[in-house]
Amino acid sequence: MKVDVKTINHIAALAKLKFGEDDAERFAEEFKEILEHFNNLDQEDLLHEDRNPANGREASLREDTLETFENKEELFKNTKDFVDKYILIPKVIE
Amino acid sequence: MEIEKMTVEEIKKGYRTGEFSAVEVVTYYLERIKEYDEQIGAFLSLCENSALEEAKKTDKKIKNNKALGLLEGVPVAVKDLICTRGLRTTCASKMLEDFIPPYDATVIKKLRETGAILIGKTNMDEFAMGSSTENSAFKTTRNPWDSRKVPGGSSGGSAAAVSAGFTPFAIGSDTGGSIRQPAAFCGNVGLKPTYGLVSRYGLIAFASSLDQIGTFTKTVKDAALGLQAIQGHDSMDATSIRCDITGDYTIHLEDGIKGMKFGLPKEFYQEGLDEEIKASIMSSIQRIIRMGGEVEEFSLPITKTGLSAYYIISSAEASANLARYDGIRYGYRTEKFSDIETLMLNSRTEGFGQEVKRRIMIGTYVLSSGYYDAYYKKAMIFRRKVKEIFGEAFEKYDAIISPVSPVLPFDIGEKTNDPLQMYLSDIYTVNVNIAGLPAISIPCGYSRSQLPIGLQIIGNFYEEEKLLKSAYALEQDLFLYHKVPELKGVV
Repeated sequence: MKVDVKTINHIAALAKLKFGEDDAERFAEEFKEILEHFNNLDQEDLLHEDRNPANGREASLREDTLETFENKEELFKNTKDFVDKYILIPKVIE
Repeated sequence: MEIEKMTVEEIKKGYRTGEFSAVEVVTYYLERIKEYDEQIGAFLSLCENSALEEAKKTDKKIKNNKALGLLEGVPVAVKDLICTRGLRTTCASKMLEDFIPPYDATVIKKLRETGAILIGKTNMDEFAMGSSTENSAFKTTRNPWDSRKVPGGSSGGSAAAVSAGFTPFAIGSDTGGSIRQPAAFCGNVGLKPTYGLVSRYGLIAFASSLDQIGTFTKTVKDAALGLQAIQGHDSMDATSIRCDITGDYTIHLEDGIKGMKFGLPKEFYQEGLDEEIKASIMSSIQRIIRMGGEVEEFSLPITKTGLSAYYIISSAEASANLARYDGIRYGYRTEKFSDIETLMLNSRTEGFGQEVKRRIMIGTYVLSSGYYDAYYKKAMIFRRKVKEIFGEAFEKYDAIISPVSPVLPFDIGEKTNDPLQMYLSDIYTVNVNIAGLPAISIPCGYSRSQLPIGLQIIGNFYEEEKLLKSAYALEQDLFLYHKVPELKGVV
């Protein structure tokens, strides 16, 4: 499996991360080793397996009812900026 | 009175008999933390005032002969990835350095309902990704048995806090061994319940299909009490199990193991396992046989491939779960940005540590076009196979006995530059999470260098009672649980 700096940069862009050249090279080296370990999966006979991990278990879903979150003040403490009922964020539309 | 050596059971008894008050107990722990934690580094934050206030309430209840909760007045330390209302919850990450949850996780609610007193939040590997607690953005936790060694991870702060006598009880989370391995490294009892038995609501997600909350205690009986307090169905968690479990795990605890069948997976005792760990486990197996347990070797051919499947699945889920940290609504935001793209890129690049970025990258890679079939799909198919293989084993055995870690607690800094070596230290624990089974780690001995050795017992789904009963029998026979570190190596 070829993992080079170009691949690392492509994956980083998908993951919304960025790396300097040295870091990308180090990541490429580490990736090679880790992916080699992942190739253990190729030694398994997986042809006859179903991949549904739930194994017959059903999700236990609650009623889909509207609930008001009362602690708005506490909730909005975590925003950087807050005006009236709105979270103020940097301009996101070009 | 050596409160730092006391178990939850002994503290409960002391309150009932009036031997000491909750204020005395909480004050004692807080003072001990202040004296030693600068060197150990188990805590990220303390809740001194609220803990003392709650202790006063407990004392008032005792004085007025009011009914006491299951964990009334028992101090508890909680891993800093479980939401605590009004109390900073950081995941040991710069990304959430200022995050103050507006709600309590279900386990916190349950602990409060039983009267437990939250004394602080514990250090961990950032977003629970790691096996040594060296990946915290804030500090490195040291092993109370030898301060040059790691306490294990990712719940290393919780494990170290119990061992150092900072609390009799702590909560952690286990995605691939993050309770059992630090419990083994620090010489305490770590319980990872069946997936679905304890609500994950309010647990900041790493890999949702693998994450499970569990306990750290000095004894198995305390683990049974802790599990009773936190287990049970929760409508806020769609993976929470709907079943009629009474939750009192102490009823059959002392029934003994005569006639129980234990399987030893031969692949878990081969190349790579430290000889001292192997010898210690083998000696425990002789004790099990002497107590009337039947032990048989069998094949469980999943270790290496299971580790690969684990790192593929957990990293894939992490890459999706951590996509929410974009610097827009909450969490760390960069000061260097010109548009939305650079805002997200720089916030994530600056806010996440090295290991978290590595996992996000692996996860993104295995889910990306062209590699999904080669990695993620195969890992998910293998996951099914792991469940089937375990299922077949539990048709023959009541429980499986294995090591927790292939190595003794290693030096701080020893594996930080070699991620694959660090990942390989999880080889005996990750398959339990892949299958969703319960497992417990208990101390079974000490190395020549006086480092704790853990033994893992794996049970079938929802058979925590059997698991605890087996662990209790061995613990009583080994009689190691009053051994505590002297914190002499702390410099």
